Amino acid sequence: MDPKKILIAVDASENSLRAVEYTGDMLGGGEGFHIELLTIERFPDRDLFETEEVWKTECKKNQAAYLDFMAKAQKILCDKGISEKQIFSRYIESCKSPLKSPPLICSMGTNIAHEIMGIIESEGFGTVVIGRRGVSKEVEFLFGSVSTKIVHYSKGCAVWIVN
Amino acid sequence: MSQDVRNLVKQYYPNFPSKHCGKIYHDTTEFMDISYGDVICVNGLHYMVLRDEVERRFGIEDPKFWVKRCRHLETGERKIIKLVFYEKFLLKLGEVEILCHRSPGKESRILDLVRGDMRFMQGVSYHDEKNNNVRVLDLIRGKSLDIVIYNIEEDHETYFRKHFPEILEKFIGACEAIGFMHSHGEKHGDIRRDHIWIESGTQKYRWIDFDYSFDFYENPFALDLFGLGGILAFITGKGDCTVGYLLERGFTKEDLAGLTEDDFSIVFHHRLVNLRKIYPYIPEKLNNILLHFSRGTDVFYDTVDEILGDLKPCLDLLGS
Repeated sequence: MDPKKILIAVDASENSLRAVEYTGDMLGGGEGFHIELLTIERFPDRDLFETEEVWKTECKKNQAAYLDFMAKAQKILCDKGISEKQIFSRYIESCKSPLKSPPLICSMGTNIAHEIMGIIESEGFGTVVIGRRGVSKEVEFLFGSVSTKIVHYSKGCAVWIVN
Repeated sequence: MSQDVRNLVKQYYPNFPSKHCGKIYHDTTEFMDISYGDVICVNGLHYMVLRDEVERRFGIEDPKFWVKRCRHLETGERKIIKLVFYEKFLLKLGEVEILCHRSPGKESRILDLVRGDMRFMQGVSYHDEKNNNVRVLDLIRGKSLDIVIYNIEEDHETYFRKHFPEILEKFIGACEAIGFMHSHGEKHGDIRRDHIWIESGTQKYRWIDFDYSFDFYENPFALDLFGLGGILAFITGKGDCTVGYLLERGFTKEDLAGLTEDDFSIVFHHRLVNLRKIYPYIPEKLNNILLHFSRGTDVFYDTVDEILGDLKPCLDLLGS
């Protein structure tokens, strides 16, 4: 495990923004880091939309938001004094994407925490950073929580939860 | 009045009063207009509408105008026809509001998935001439699980020793059915005790109504699991064990004084789930499952298999 190999799991939310800013504040000016921004695409369920077209439009909007966020996050890290050569980005597409055929490695979107932990373990990340939504226990119970699952189940790495 | 309908009725349903014969609908878009005596024609088959379905909950009748109780004219069979109604509504679970959607496509997909599996309601989907989804469902003769439990007129301990083992065994089968759905990437979406029908004669537990959908964050099946936990608490407690309910059944305030917030449901804060505190003959292992749905829990079930892994051994602990 290499504590300087850091994975920041983000979506396009305010919580993720806080996680990125916090990482920048902690590590700005430092050297020898591998900081990887990871986004796992998750689109709204097809069943929530009356037509395929409306669903596709929503998915396109979501994808654009994810990609914009990745670019913004990279800039934030740079602005906080982390050199560009230390910053990496990875975007994992949804296996259920209506926008194009899914690549070989894609996300089923039904257990994102498990997918993040798989990457941490297989690629030797020593630190994972994630923003917390700050939802109630009831909401966490009814919908699940990526950050809680990572806290409970990750092994062999440090977990930074940013509230 | 349509001559076509009169001819159909004359041929297939001669006892039907001709003065009530309505129109034939090949396009079901305006489902509110389709009523008693009208005929829905889909896939070349004819279904006479007898009435709109009504959902009864908590003593209130809620008409479902997009769901029609029908008679299939060609065979005389009773059917339920569900028409397209893209409804969005806030489902309130305790303090949590969930935006739910009705999805005819989801229900059709699940009907295809569970065809021939009698743990579920059965039906087929067609499209009318305007490409509206029309689900033709078999009627299940029987009663919903909550009614069956309410109708058992015995005290809790007698119920628990005499009836509960069989009810639990069948509920385990119902959980396995939901596990089957999840293993195919589908969620039921509206797991409630009145969405399990106990079929007359066979006494089989059968799930109904698969058209709810909702967005989720991390675990798409968590809401279904919560539903199963709610039903388990209901069948174990022989009702919703609120403080009021328990006082009505002879418990005193002193009896209930030892209950804490953590003993109640994580979502419905007035429903007791730590039932062993009031019914000490409930095995601890079974009670521990219920505690996963309490306010005091920090451990949630992630899958139906996890629940079943804990629940199945409880069967051996029951009986007199």
